[in-house]
Amino acid sequence: MEKAKITAYQLFALVLLFELGSALLVALGIEAKQDAWIVILLGMIGGLLIFFVFYRLYCFYPDCLPTEYLQKIMGKGLGKSVAFLYMLYNVYLAARVLRDFGAMLLTFAYIETPLFIANTLMILVIVYSVSKGIEVLARTGELFLVFIYFLAGSGVLLVLFSGVIDLHNLQPVLENGWKPIIKTTVRETIYFPFGELIVFTMIMPYLRDAKKIRNVGIFGVIVSGISLALVMVINISILGVDLTERSQFPLLSTIQTIQVADFLERLDVYFVIALIVGGFFKVAMFIYAAVIGTANIFTVTPPSRLSYPIGLVVLILSMTMASSFPEHLKEGVSIVPLLLHLPFQIIFPVLLLGVAYWKNRKHKKQGTG
Amino acid sequence: MPSFFKKKSQKGKKTAEKQKKPAVSSPLSEVLEENLAVITSKTGNSTDIIIRRLKHSPRFKTESAIVYLKGLTDTQTVQEILIESLMKSDPVEQEPSSMQEMVEGYLPLGIMESLKDWETLFQALMSGHTIIFVDGFSEAMSTSTEGGEQRSIEEPSTQRAIRGSREGFTESIETNISMVRRIIQNPTLWTETMTIGRVTKTKVTIMYIKGIARDDIIEELRNRLKKIDIDSVLESGYIEQYIEDQSLTVFPTLYHSERPDVVAGNLLEGRFALFVNGSPFVLLGPVVFIQFFQSIEDYTERFYISTALRLLRVLIFFISLIGPATYIAATTFHQEMIPTQLLVAIAAQRESVPFPSFVEAIIMEVTFEILREAGIRMPKAIGSAISIVGALVIGQAAVQAGVVSAAMVIIVAITAIASFATPSFGIAISTRLLRFLFMISAATFGFYGMILGFIILVVHLCGLRSFGVPYMSPLAPFVPADINDTVIRGPLWADRKRPSFMSGQNQLRQGEETGRPEPDKSRQMVTKNEGDAQ
Repeated sequence: MEKAKITAYQLFALVLLFELGSALLVALGIEAKQDAWIVILLGMIGGLLIFFVFYRLYCFYPDCLPTEYLQKIMGKGLGKSVAFLYMLYNVYLAARVLRDFGAMLLTFAYIETPLFIANTLMILVIVYSVSKGIEVLARTGELFLVFIYFLAGSGVLLVLFSGVIDLHNLQPVLENGWKPIIKTTVRETIYFPFGELIVFTMIMPYLRDAKKIRNVGIFGVIVSGISLALVMVINISILGVDLTERSQFPLLSTIQTIQVADFLERLDVYFVIALIVGGFFKVAMFIYAAVIGTANIFTVTPPSRLSYPIGLVVLILSMTMASSFPEHLKEGVSIVPLLLHLPFQIIFPVLLLGVAYWKNRKHKKQGTG
Repeated sequence: MPSFFKKKSQKGKKTAEKQKKPAVSSPLSEVLEENLAVITSKTGNSTDIIIRRLKHSPRFKTESAIVYLKGLTDTQTVQEILIESLMKSDPVEQEPSSMQEMVEGYLPLGIMESLKDWETLFQALMSGHTIIFVDGFSEAMSTSTEGGEQRSIEEPSTQRAIRGSREGFTESIETNISMVRRIIQNPTLWTETMTIGRVTKTKVTIMYIKGIARDDIIEELRNRLKKIDIDSVLESGYIEQYIEDQSLTVFPTLYHSERPDVVAGNLLEGRFALFVNGSPFVLLGPVVFIQFFQSIEDYTERFYISTALRLLRVLIFFISLIGPATYIAATTFHQEMIPTQLLVAIAAQRESVPFPSFVEAIIMEVTFEILREAGIRMPKAIGSAISIVGALVIGQAAVQAGVVSAAMVIIVAITAIASFATPSFGIAISTRLLRFLFMISAATFGFYGMILGFIILVVHLCGLRSFGVPYMSPLAPFVPADINDTVIRGPLWADRKRPSFMSGQNQLRQGEETGRPEPDKSRQMVTKNEGDAQ
């Protein structure tokens, strides 16, 4: 563990940027048609539940990284191997997001640039930032949060002034009842983006004021959920369900509808900034968690030494994980949620919490008795 | 890895041993002639060293002499007070036991010091003291007679302010310290002086307000200054480069000012000031990034205006940083983002230009940097020639010759003016350098490269510290109480607390009663006379 402390607001900024990271750019929960925003809000509630599992685990071992308390709960050997699996999971997710991000960037702006170059540049910036440590990353987050919300605010204003919003596109609400909504929630939005908060279990011990962690988490999840839902509402009300579903980047299409005074138009740079900054923070958080966890498992000091090798692994994995972008997307939709997200984000933590609860209750009885 | 560290620590020990040098200075002799001979031989018989023998002084029964440096001493003091009082005083009745006793009561001069070894003696002599030798004593007295020619106090040439004091620091450290003392008339204003520089023996003075400045920061400063072991300190910039937290950065992590009121203001916020003899620039620390966007008249103007000006300065910073880069990125990679009419206009201009816009921008920027450098070095008399040549070369001729497009000239001109408008030279000069990096990243990867560059810049800035204070505070880490004096400037009455990172316990700078001025009497105070018309 680094000798570093971050403030509650910094953690909040990181949670928010991480949640918005790539979720902002895609058509989240569009399988539920015009009710996508309900799906997002339901996912948010699911995310809160998952966060509580992480939080209870943290309460049992407030000064330990998850890699340490896994060993305390499951024993040394088993704990270490599970912890290592978690680190692999983080690396894999980092590579996935990097691939997503690189592919998106190339499709809409740099058609002839090789994916490898785009990803390499990004990973260099990320690795540099991660090697500076969590404090610097957190401060950067603080500054960029203001920046992103400033952009978002001005973007929303411009969209409003352009007069393209048609709220009828959101009707009828609950056209097909609750069933497709619940289905999409359980299959998608709970895990992405909210379940991915599991990364923050690696960062919670750094918080200076441990009492605030619950509020920061709840607040962060709610604000990000509402922001995402709002963006989806704007997307659908401008583009309509059909176009949102078929558009590769609904947010980009939305931004392109901005037209104010025949001068403020084609503000694609908004999307570029959101894409790069979001991608940066998402990958950086995954890599940071992987670096700090791996350093903890194998007792490497200082942990920042690992950031370059792990960055290289992420880069290569992002290139080789799928032979084409459609294949990559297919994996993301049908394989990853069930085989990776479900066990790592929900089943393991819940089991762990049960064991930890049982163990600590026994301890307490011994202590008081 | 552990073995590597071991080696390192051993290496450190060795160098530490090496540095322990015998500093025992030889004592003075009792014989006057021997002492004077040492002085002439050690100074190589320099002509500006004056040795005046006083053969028949009634004060001393034996022979005596005074030694001083011409030019560094105040000749009037030496001649009229020192020599006169030594020559004309009444003879002593009894044999004095020490020199101090003998001299102290009779010389009407302020500082008197007894010297017993050569090292301190030469230091006193070289700083303008007059040394009194008496035969038969193995000590000498030094009297403070510093003087000589100095530049008078003038208006500062950098950091001009419209509303604020007109005083600027000079090269003399005593004058500079007194100028701050005159502003803060409080005994808690403490100073500490040390000499740095093996050869130059430059006086360096730390100044801080005891009780406001944090003791740990002052202690750290002291330690860092003590570690400096160099030949010469010719300007405060020498010291700056040895006490920075991080030297591998283009951003200044110490602030320098030529204005006493700026120094006083910073001392009151809990910072320290570092005076270096011979430099009109006083160092201030710890600093934060946002401080470089502040100007002294921000505090004297109404806060709406100050806030607007500060936001303007942040905008200026961004223009001078990414102005040309944005143009390059937009014209090279993202033409679709430029409104159509403008794009057509730019394309028409660029039709005759043989270079890509990156080359065009580099040509113009480098030309401009050359002109600027020439403008600084040129003698004032031919300075106006530069501006004529510059205006013609940069402006019309280049466009007419078809080397650059007119739009590029506008971009470079705006960028240049923006970099002149930055209030702090330290930041302006770093943005000048970074601008080229941004231009390169924009030319290779468009907005993608620029945004990545910007992220690296922010990460780098967030990682900097100045004497332990995070460089980007109070923005990151965000300190809500200090936000009043950052990119915005709240009203003074709302600025209750000192910056929390600098000042330890003593944070409040306003009384509890002092709040927003809302005099209740304002309305009834002036009553209309009965007879006045409505």
